[in-house]
Amino acid sequence: MKYLFIDASENSTFAQTGNAAGFRSQVFATDRNFAARITNICDEMLQNANMTFADLDLLVVCTGPGSLTGLRVAAAFLRTAAMLANKPLVGISIFDWSLQTLIEKNISGRVRLVMPTLIDKAFSINAELPDLNHSQPELIERTTAGAQPDTYGIRFSYPGVISLQPEPAALHKLINLDCHSPARSLPEILNILPLYVIPSQAERKFKEAS
Amino acid sequence: MITLGIESSCDDTSVALVKDGVEVLASLVSSQIEIHRRFGGVVPEVASRKHLEAILPLLNEAMTAARCEFKDIDQIAVTAGPGLLGPLLIGLSTAKALAWQLKVPMIPVNHIEAHLTASFLAAGRKPEFPYLGLIVSGGNSNLVYVTGPRQFKCLAQTLDDAPGELFDKVARHLNLGYPGGPVIQKTGEGGDPKRYRLPRPMAGKGYVFSFSGLKTAVMRVVEQEGDRLNMSDLCASLQQAVADSFAEKVEMALNETRTRRLVMAGGVAANRPLREKMQQLADAHKAELLLPTIHLCTDNAAMIAAHGYFTAAEAPANSLEVNAVASWEMGGPHNF
Ligand SMILES: [Zn+2]
Repeated sequence: MKYLFIDASENSTFAQTGNAAGFRSQVFATDRNFAARITNICDEMLQNANMTFADLDLLVVCTGPGSLTGLRVAAAFLRTAAMLANKPLVGISIFDWSLQTLIEKNISGRVRLVMPTLIDKAFSINAELPDLNHSQPELIERTTAGAQPDTYGIRFSYPGVISLQPEPAALHKLINLDCHSPARSLPEILNILPLYVIPSQAERKFKEAS
Repeated sequence: MITLGIESSCDDTSVALVKDGVEVLASLVSSQIEIHRRFGGVVPEVASRKHLEAILPLLNEAMTAARCEFKDIDQIAVTAGPGLLGPLLIGLSTAKALAWQLKVPMIPVNHIEAHLTASFLAAGRKPEFPYLGLIVSGGNSNLVYVTGPRQFKCLAQTLDDAPGELFDKVARHLNLGYPGGPVIQKTGEGGDPKRYRLPRPMAGKGYVFSFSGLKTAVMRVVEQEGDRLNMSDLCASLQQAVADSFAEKVEMALNETRTRRLVMAGGVAANRPLREKMQQLADAHKAELLLPTIHLCTDNAAMIAAHGYFTAAEAPANSLEVNAVASWEMGGPHNF
């Protein structure tokens, strides 16, 4: 399966292409210029993989958590491209990607993943590997991140926390798993959204509004 | 030539298809006003989410309404600024995906400039130069002398609030609701515009607007009048003060530039007392007045498409690499 994946959850953008033979990933120092470079990044990724957009079987967008601005730009772009070109679209969260990374490391049983957010908070999820299902993200104080055993910190070092970098190979495996039901119709595409998990002031206002 | 326009700089998502820069085939707006009304203003994060939800369904609806297919689109015009960055980026990213997939040019459009083009579009005409442009909205009050599609000479700007901001603040203070312009106009209907003496800020002080003093003056009237306050008269007096303030500077500019074409644009251009005042002024100077229809006054993608059509030649060659910009001077180069 030929795919293009974009993760704009951080200051630098992570992109990956893959096919039956393997995968290629690249990190772009986009900072605040992600929106300015998005077409170039896609073109460069496809070119380096010797693929055209028409060749792709699947578009994959990272749904976060992370920078909402970046995640939304990637989602707006890939959702539109998917709709226009009739390509299936899948959203993959960093939690799923991290869990798959642990599976690839032969870790099984109960694990807790934490991921830093805001200044002093972190998200936390629980899972029972090798099952990819996990609990809803919970917001915790960062100081309590290391309070439980078998806690892995996603892109995060902290006392009592095992640091974990979501890995390209695990992403490739995850995308190729048969567990996704890709969005094909417009209503399905519209369901692919960034994870809105930061209870900021705007979040509270948003809840009040809807 | 068919231009697809996309606008998302504030709280309205809009998609339009315009033929040859003058004929609106479809122009749809998905307003978030009911959501932001609760907060008494636009919350950028909320607006960004709503834009992302609304834009693709709206795009499809617009295509259907215009009886167009994606392959019929010759170019894409999108608001790149000025505005709220998060909201702008939704429209820009959507436009980029369209241009990238359809292999057609993308033209970044300055939202404020496009408001002026809306007045010509309302008349089904191409922009004709030179003209005097007055842009009045929630964030702007600019008087400009326009000699080409992107040639602007700024004559006057506001030192503080824009008129829409003034109306919002006053309406909030008087508990009339949001947005301020329409509720103040409605309350002022039939009111006596001479009842309360409000200042004409910056009268006789050259090319400059200022509206924050009017807010203070209105608050003073409210305090002084107490229970005797006639809300309708107050709103009528306030609108008259705003209209007179604009009229003085516009008249100066009409005399100095000897332009016989006056264009008013922006959300506050929907304000009836202001429209009437400008019409009187234009008549007295034997000048033509172009006003946008109410639909084209507020933020819409038809004006973005039309302005994109007339400024396509000036778009940067690598337009797919442009970013959204929060501030962008009229006629100024695109910030990379
Ligand atoms: Zn506007």
